Amino acid sequence: MVPSKSSNDDRDLVGRARRGDREAFTQLIVQYQVPLYNMALRMVGTPDDAADIAQEAFLRAWEKIRTLRDAPFKSWLFQIAANLCYDHFRRGRRFGVMPDEDQTGSSNVVGLGIATPDPQERTEANERTRLVRDSIQALDHDMRIAIILRDVNGMAYDEIAAVLRVPLGTVKSRIARARAQVQERLQQHPDFFPSREDAHAE
Amino acid sequence: MPSERRIPTEPTLEELSAYLDHELDVATQARVADHVAGCAECTRRLDGLRETVHAVRALPMETPSRTFTIPAQRRQAFRWAPVGWVGGAAAALLIIVAGVTQVHLNGPVGATSTLSQAPAKGSQYSEVAPLDRSNDLAPGVAQRASSANANTVVDPQNSSRSLTISTDASSYRASGVITVHVTTRGLSGAEASSVKLSLSRERGQAGYIVRLEPRSNAPTFPFDYEAAYSIQQMQLPAPVAGGYWLQVTIDMSDHRSLTAWLPLTITP
Repeated sequence: MVPSKSSNDDRDLVGRARRGDREAFTQLIVQYQVPLYNMALRMVGTPDDAADIAQEAFLRAWEKIRTLRDAPFKSWLFQIAANLCYDHFRRGRRFGVMPDEDQTGSSNVVGLGIATPDPQERTEANERTRLVRDSIQALDHDMRIAIILRDVNGMAYDEIAAVLRVPLGTVKSRIARARAQVQERLQQHPDFFPSREDAHAE
Repeated sequence: MPSERRIPTEPTLEELSAYLDHELDVATQARVADHVAGCAECTRRLDGLRETVHAVRALPMETPSRTFTIPAQRRQAFRWAPVGWVGGAAAALLIIVAGVTQVHLNGPVGATSTLSQAPAKGSQYSEVAPLDRSNDLAPGVAQRASSANANTVVDPQNSSRSLTISTDASSYRASGVITVHVTTRGLSGAEASSVKLSLSRERGQAGYIVRLEPRSNAPTFPFDYEAAYSIQQMQLPAPVAGGYWLQVTIDMSDHRSLTAWLPLTITP
């Protein structure tokens, strides 16, 4: 795997963290907290559980960072969090819990960049978000994590293979099937997700 | 005539999906492109997948509502002893990380939570200058160890940018002096404009606010600022003792701002 820019940037911080430098580890937390939290959030569905998972992942990474050898820190950290997500499901919540509206208040949303002041537009955007979220939640865990790592976290296939410890072909297959299932569910809501033919028919 | 293994021209679901991600080898990528260009059905399949990918990628990135911490007692798998922290704060020593990350748009909605605009109606407001001795402190030398009470926020749209605020302690007597250190990473002068530093009872701008004046109104970036402020000079309303928030906000040229908070305690 060709080391990414971020893995090169991490190397110095990881080296310092391995020597017990908490400030260096803090910078790693800062760098990965939002993507890691969002991965967990889209996996388990509830902000509190996602935050618990991210917190525990950082704690375990801090405690075990001396065991990290040549693997990229990012893949290793996400692997810890992915395992915690699976543990979460094994404890009995097999398909996650749909978040209530009040648990995903817009106050915590960052990075939107574009304001939609029209209430009608905002309502539609919220509904689209809810439908996509629910479609991901309906996937089985293996497909769900594959599509999240790819389309939420933007990881390359080889990074995903390293996180999930599965062959590249399995990654490719899980992402494709996940997308097809999400597509099928979204197409049940043509008001929000019109297909190209629908759009042309109008 | 030698028999040649015929490659199926119709791309599979996996190939179409990986094609969108440019994760096929060059030959297969070209074959899928060729086929799709001449096949209405595969163009439709590909469009459907592409729209799905766009829909998933449009999910908003959310920030956690709580702080991620590494408690001091959580050790690595080898002997390690913290150095340089202030004794009184030892029991509560935490690495505090940006659970309070806030990036918001400047303007009618976001502006009310920064000090870049006038304080809210009904809130009290004062300004205090740093002590002269601040000028004698070399930036980022002695107080770098103060990161025992520190908070760093990262710009969710650009993880190479961050803002860190730290103080030399987390608890001060009302007669004491707060030494504040603010640094930025990854922000050039073209990407950031003003820096606002304040102390308040509440996060944001509720309650009494003390604006801590920087030494210069024209900050340079990367920003590395350290200054000492007398608590008495702040003329905080009684009772002075209690919990406070130290806040720093950097306005960026893309009309967003980056804000970091740090909790402080003032004792009688």
